[in-house]
Amino acid sequence: MSTSSRNPMKDLVAFAGAATTGFSAHNTDRTPLSLAAEACSKLLRECGLKASDIDGICGPSSVSAGDLQNTLGIPELTWWSNPPIPFVNQVIQAASAVHAGVCDTVLVYHVPYRHAFFTASALRDPFRRVMPAIAPGGNPDTMWGPIGYTAWASRYIHDYNVPKERFGLVAINDRSNAQDNPGAAMREPMTMDDYMSARMVRWPLCLLDMDVPVDGADAFIITTTERARDLPFSPVMINAAVLGMVDANVEDQTVSLEHHGHHVVAKALKAKSDFWIDDIDVYFPYDGFTIITLNWLENIGFCGRGEAGDFLAANWDAEKNRILINGRIPVNPHGGALSEGGTQGSGHIREAIHQLQGRAGVRQVANARRTLVTAGGFFYNAQGLALHRD
Amino acid sequence: MSRSISDSDLVSTFAHLGIDRDSAAHYAGRLEHLLLINRCGECSTYHHPPRPMCAKCWSTDVAATEVTGNGVIDLLIFLHQGPQAPGVDYSTPYPVASVALDEQAGLRFTATVIGSPNEEIAIGQRVTLDWFDRAGVPTPAFRLVGGAA
Ligand SMILES: [Zn+2]
Repeated sequence: MSTSSRNPMKDLVAFAGAATTGFSAHNTDRTPLSLAAEACSKLLRECGLKASDIDGICGPSSVSAGDLQNTLGIPELTWWSNPPIPFVNQVIQAASAVHAGVCDTVLVYHVPYRHAFFTASALRDPFRRVMPAIAPGGNPDTMWGPIGYTAWASRYIHDYNVPKERFGLVAINDRSNAQDNPGAAMREPMTMDDYMSARMVRWPLCLLDMDVPVDGADAFIITTTERARDLPFSPVMINAAVLGMVDANVEDQTVSLEHHGHHVVAKALKAKSDFWIDDIDVYFPYDGFTIITLNWLENIGFCGRGEAGDFLAANWDAEKNRILINGRIPVNPHGGALSEGGTQGSGHIREAIHQLQGRAGVRQVANARRTLVTAGGFFYNAQGLALHRD
Repeated sequence: MSRSISDSDLVSTFAHLGIDRDSAAHYAGRLEHLLLINRCGECSTYHHPPRPMCAKCWSTDVAATEVTGNGVIDLLIFLHQGPQAPGVDYSTPYPVASVALDEQAGLRFTATVIGSPNEEIAIGQRVTLDWFDRAGVPTPAFRLVGGAA
């Protein structure tokens, strides 16, 4: 298959803004709809938009577009959709609808939520117990879903003889960065001893290798770049966006860590975008599991096979106890999925927008103009997004 | 295909494993202690999990076919916690292995490993198929072959 560079939407659609409720690693007494409505109304106010300015809505299936429209009193929609996460899927669908002229201004949202499946404490909330199950249960003899990442982490350690401390650098980077993010769920400093002594969940991955189930919401406005120029914040243009998947996409049938969805994303995003890893000012690799970040660094081209851990050690900012690629490029400065909270990519994209708009507060990367978000995992949800400003 | 068990009983026996019409023959095989993997009648390619068509040649002539269950551990984890299942308490971490089957390169089947202490189980070791009962239902498992690898 040849990789197409065709990209007629390039830079014509943009994020006008992004907002968040912040995230909690404890059960809140809020519904997903309540959290979504808070983030969305906050963002609409910040952008100076009225309900009637919105004609499209897109978010995950956990909060229907119709319920959100009804809650916010958005009078008329010409487009809406509730596709599966991770969140670049929502972005691509909304941007495509704008580019096609199905609608002009889309309210895009995500609601990470502590569903009963994720944790025992979430299961204790009777309101969460009656929510629809999102994962199968009762079968330990499987590499299904999250377990598949553990399986390939195990294989990665075996093939490349990687010490577990190298995985810890991903977790410590996120935690160090989260200390500057008041919306992050986990902000206490983490040492390598903390990481290495964390409770084993599925060997070889421990609790701190896995993202934090949180309650919270992110909201975004996606519209034409032309329309975004009339709004208060500088437009963050979508230079390129792709999803990636290969045929052997079942967890235990994946060919190898050298052939899966990441590689499709890397190839297609590079072909469609105007800039690449040497041109970016901040980088957002997905970190739902530490192994995903290590593998993204290799698959996007920062280093070779099995070298990501050594790459992190060589690009470590000892003063701030975090990654700084080439002494310049921070990685997941908001704290990522491991410390801000498991947002399935929405937190990474929100922070990317805030960085490029110069609105990231104490976390601001000086003169940030370009970024890559490489979201999702190996099997059926790899995604990429190239964002920049003027 | 004729089966000795009714569709209704088959579905209720394996509902927690996500049985559907495409995987019914595989699960029915378990009741006879047979590991059945879909194989194409046109080009002889195996695939798993069971699909209604051969991905190599688009033939719909795919049939659940017995395999030996001999192979090599490709992926290996130990669950320190996990879903509730009869006879599994995770106080001893529960091994789960994806085994590259001898029948075809890259074809894997996932099951637990029985008969050896966890310290002796490792990626690269040869295994063979065995069965145990979980809540009265035959369940495939792997067993290390010939002691240490
Ligand atoms: Zn065939």
